[in-house]
Amino acid sequence: MRRIAALFVASTALPALAADDTASKAIKVLSANCYQCHTKAMAMSELDLTSRASMLKGGAGGTVVVEGNPDSSKLIAAVERKGKLAMPPTKALGSEEVAVLRSWIGEGAAWPEHSTVSAAPAVTWWAFQKVSRPEVPKSGSPWVRNEIDEFILDGLRKDSLAPSAPAKPETLARRAYLDLLGLPPSIQQIREFAGNASPDAWPKLVDKLLASPHYGEKWGRHWLDLVRYSDTAGFELDGYIHDAWRYRDWVVDSFNEDKPYDQFVSQQIAADELAPEDPVAQTGTGLYCVGPNRDLFPDQADINREESLTDYADTTSSVFLGLTAGCARCHDHKFDPISQEDYYRLRAVFAPAVKRKVALNRLGSLGYDVSESVREWKLRELGDQIRAVQARCKDQVMSAKLSGLPEDAQEALRIGDGKRTQRQRELATEFADKARVGDEEIRACMTTQETASLHGIEKALVKMYAGYTSKPFACGLGDSWNVAPRTFLPGRGSNPAREVQPGFFSVLGGGEVPPPAEKRETTGPIPLMPTTGRRTALAGWIANAGNPLTARVMANRVWQFHFGRGLVATPSDFGTRGGQPTHAELLDWLASEFVSNGWSVKHLHRVIMNSAAYRQQSNPSKQSVDRDPTNLLLSHFSRRRMNADEIRDSMLLVTGSLNPKRGGRPVVPPLTDEEKENLTQRPDDAWVLTADDSEHSRRSIYLIQKRTFRLPMMEVFDAPDSMLTCPRRDSSTTAPQSLTLFNGSLTMGRSRAMAAKLVEEQPGDAAAVQTAWKKILAREPSAAESDRAIAFVKEQSGNAGGREAAMAELVRALVNLNEFLYVD
Amino acid sequence: MSTKSRRDFLASAGRGFGAAAATSLLPGAFAGSGPLSPKAPHQAAQAKSVIYLYMHGGVSHVDTWDPKPELTRISGQTLPASFVKGLKTSRIDFTKALARGSAWPFRKHGQSGLEISDLFPHMAAHADDFALVRSCHGDAFDHAPAMYLHATGSQFPGKPSLGAWVVYGLGSENENLPAFVVMTDGAMKCGPQGYGAGFLPAVHQGTMFRAGSSPILDLATPDGVSGATQRATLDFVGDLDRKHLASRPFDSDLEARLASYELAFRMQSEAPDAVDISKESDATKRLYGIGEGLSDDFGRKCLLARRLVERGVRFIQLYSGTHLGDDWDGAHNDLTGSHTKMAAKTDKPISGLLQDLKARGLLDSTLVIWGSEFGRTPLGEGRNGRDHHPYAFSMWFSGAGVQGGRVLGSTDEFGLKPVENPLLAHDVNATILRMLGMDHLKLTYFYQGRDQRLTDVHGEHEFTKFLLGA
Repeated sequence: MRRIAALFVASTALPALAADDTASKAIKVLSANCYQCHTKAMAMSELDLTSRASMLKGGAGGTVVVEGNPDSSKLIAAVERKGKLAMPPTKALGSEEVAVLRSWIGEGAAWPEHSTVSAAPAVTWWAFQKVSRPEVPKSGSPWVRNEIDEFILDGLRKDSLAPSAPAKPETLARRAYLDLLGLPPSIQQIREFAGNASPDAWPKLVDKLLASPHYGEKWGRHWLDLVRYSDTAGFELDGYIHDAWRYRDWVVDSFNEDKPYDQFVSQQIAADELAPEDPVAQTGTGLYCVGPNRDLFPDQADINREESLTDYADTTSSVFLGLTAGCARCHDHKFDPISQEDYYRLRAVFAPAVKRKVALNRLGSLGYDVSESVREWKLRELGDQIRAVQARCKDQVMSAKLSGLPEDAQEALRIGDGKRTQRQRELATEFADKARVGDEEIRACMTTQETASLHGIEKALVKMYAGYTSKPFACGLGDSWNVAPRTFLPGRGSNPAREVQPGFFSVLGGGEVPPPAEKRETTGPIPLMPTTGRRTALAGWIANAGNPLTARVMANRVWQFHFGRGLVATPSDFGTRGGQPTHAELLDWLASEFVSNGWSVKHLHRVIMNSAAYRQQSNPSKQSVDRDPTNLLLSHFSRRRMNADEIRDSMLLVTGSLNPKRGGRPVVPPLTDEEKENLTQRPDDAWVLTADDSEHSRRSIYLIQKRTFRLPMMEVFDAPDSMLTCPRRDSSTTAPQSLTLFNGSLTMGRSRAMAAKLVEEQPGDAAAVQTAWKKILAREPSAAESDRAIAFVKEQSGNAGGREAAMAELVRALVNLNEFLYVD
Repeated sequence: MSTKSRRDFLASAGRGFGAAAATSLLPGAFAGSGPLSPKAPHQAAQAKSVIYLYMHGGVSHVDTWDPKPELTRISGQTLPASFVKGLKTSRIDFTKALARGSAWPFRKHGQSGLEISDLFPHMAAHADDFALVRSCHGDAFDHAPAMYLHATGSQFPGKPSLGAWVVYGLGSENENLPAFVVMTDGAMKCGPQGYGAGFLPAVHQGTMFRAGSSPILDLATPDGVSGATQRATLDFVGDLDRKHLASRPFDSDLEARLASYELAFRMQSEAPDAVDISKESDATKRLYGIGEGLSDDFGRKCLLARRLVERGVRFIQLYSGTHLGDDWDGAHNDLTGSHTKMAAKTDKPISGLLQDLKARGLLDSTLVIWGSEFGRTPLGEGRNGRDHHPYAFSMWFSGAGVQGGRVLGSTDEFGLKPVENPLLAHDVNATILRMLGMDHLKLTYFYQGRDQRLTDVHGEHEFTKFLLGA
């Protein structure tokens, strides 16, 4: 009855002017605070508050408004944050707003006759607003070098803080080299810069470093962390992802050539569709191959497919959009306006996608498959031949071994596996090792003729594999056909599962994927299957100046790796649980500068590094420590520890053994037996050592990266395990780090090698100390340091037994110094 | 370090350090409020330390802790379809495989009369000291995902493990030893993600203790370097670092790094001492089965676990079995042979551990857990095997106030599925946290947009009350 009465009131449209006024106010409150999620389109928790009928219908949790009774209305309880449910999740309503809703519901919750409030989602969160280029403050301060500084100075002044003095040229040079290349400068390189007084010395240095091929190795590494790159698949088998490194090299090359970021993004999502004739671009779709997978478990193909689709959607969302959409896999996102339907619309984009071999060149790739097929056929035949040649000796050696065992064990081992009694099974297990016949034992027993036969087989094998090298394929993504399997939103309770169409997050403007185009004719190395075009549409939506997140998120990532912290501190979470930016306008300025300069990442580096803010020294003032201890306002540069890769690469460089070779298959460096203990597979299989020694001192980005095993030195210094996306590495300080850096094989090996050279080239201790200082710390020692070091070498010659051992201690000490490990 | 040099270090360090540095430095963390400084639990704790005995490979529940006479009775027959509906593993077909009764007789043990099979005669003697849970279940039927599920609450690797969460919540009681120690028989199918820190700061991950006198990687002074040389170089580094620090005020990171070298040096002396069991009496060693062939190795590890607990190590994860050698998974082809062998390796050491902890008064504050990634199929695989069975398996809990000799939950007459109190990995983990004084709902870490928990959105069947006999 009550409901009918209320409807009557509403439909007869007799509310007094005052009531209509209350209603208008109430709808305004709802619109401003609730329509981000509770519209017809979003309908989080199945609740739509944009019409009276839908509001009264309630949501997944039942009725939310009881007309005339605010105290029984869940909506009121939620906004008053009294019960379990507190809405809106991110900020409480003001008491006036609550009062408006209360009295409106108390009066029957009528809908205003002519509501002017739009039912479109009210997007209030800053990161979901379109980027607009903000007005740059004008301070007139001589400190300011470019727009960035105006924003920074504005922030500092609001807190009565002042920027710091510029860093010394030597410090700046080292900072620039490590930030852009991940390698420290030599003393000559420092002097070259410090000795150049011209005002454009700094921008020129920045340009020079950006042109170095090492730049892509350093910044490519940041990207690989983000996309959870690995050369193996993880889980208990941890199978190799043979061609993952092609994607790694593609990332490095893309940074080096300053590929416009929108292209960089598009190629990773959909190069197979966008550039069907360009296998290099398609290598970018390797993003979807280098993640963890269980492809080697075919008995779980259904689970694996589900996990892969989840991985594709989550990775795309967090890497490119800085949104953690994963929550919405199971339910509407609790905090961000991403509905479960939105999430499944994104997943539907990938529904037709499958991993595919990207043929890098037509003849080579086709020919490779043909010869691989022949090779495999021949191998089976050779396997039979090997068995036949070895059979006689295998039996003979086995019999000899058995005769030395107790009789019941002999009996147990002779009987076939399936026919043993319980006791015999136990015996067989116990004596298995003693009866095992090794390859060497067989060879020792063979006749000349048998040996010759085996040699013949070996020759055939060598012939087959001479010239065997990397496959002419990359791993990428493609559609299996131009028709996609249907995607269903899982049902729950009384709601059955229903089909959803591919599309984009409503809160970011939404959008549908157009139906597939006519079948495309391709002239690429190997023509592709027809595709649905879904990923092309997605790429167009993400790599788009109109997308509020893409440019902001990337600009923030670049900023973070220069200053140690992003303007948004949660680089892969720009949603409402992430942070507010410390400098919102600066971020928008950077994002718009990024886009209007052709999405050039190198341009971003230039504007950032050419600012006065970047060139500050790193010691904080007393005021800064008191008022802004975490340096949010950037009153000085934030000193940072080198990361794992930088420590290893720098140590190799300064001790004179870095091999600068670029790209190619991953290098597997030697491990000590102690280090091998942590491998999860047999070392013979899991750690196939690269034979060429000179490869072992390649840059860290080129070392094999396994999901189940990190190089201990890298692990202890916080290198990611590539299971989850890593937008920013930890920078911990632990005693095991000191153990590794002080006692570990890398340090000891490098120290001893450099010491041998020092002793050979520098007969005097003073000269040797000076050389060590210049090479490792890239400066001259002070007189006091030199004296202390010479005394140290003398003391250690006695302790350590000789000058060379003492020099090794000197090198070992210098690479352990904070001066070496930290970037000022 | 000599007394003098240590005093010198602290004196000189004191000039640059906050007062906290000298007293509360920890291996992983510095400057007073570091991530590993001891923290108060949410509520009163039963346990201070945990020793988690993990049988890698999958132990057959119906041959050990969960007697099934009905299974023995119908041995050789298929099971009714209604019982095996929805059950799936890699190797056997539940609708076709034949029931296989246990080869080991079960007997009642202790005052409580707990029924335990003859496979574990030594542990059975402690029947009154542990509480059995017979109704664990899960859905991950391969080793690695099942191990991740137990350790991290997710079948997918990369989330923080139980030990890491515990250390994150409680910190460490010994600055010179790692707070979370892992000991293995060798490589495991879960790899390091089975004891990793996931998205928690890396300092919380498990530290692998290796065999021998140098348990931590790079702990030993390098070959060819004498103690005097080591010390002199360390002092030289300290001198130069202090000078460097003097011109860089207000930087606790640099101070912490400086101190970490002295800590590393202290670990160099404390850790080898912790693992040196030569001073333990012969009687103690015998208790653990040390020197007795099969049980020697695991016995040493169990004894080491006790020594680490004595020294304030918070969480010790001790694995039996490696997939590069013997493990419990040998039960695929040779259930009786491999289980007999693995039991011979572990039974006496574990019973020795319980007895020794009890005798030293350490059992009151140490929670000892026995578990495995899953059980094994009550149905046979091949002639003498059992496949993986995540749908029902057993665990036990001892120490820290646990009232022993009792059983929680039960499985159907064939041991296929739980029928009373089905418990998930999350329930077990919530219980372990609760025993340590932590509320699994409150132990959270903000990552990827939400407050993450070890128990995800589960853990509602936490069973501390049962364990404590309340």
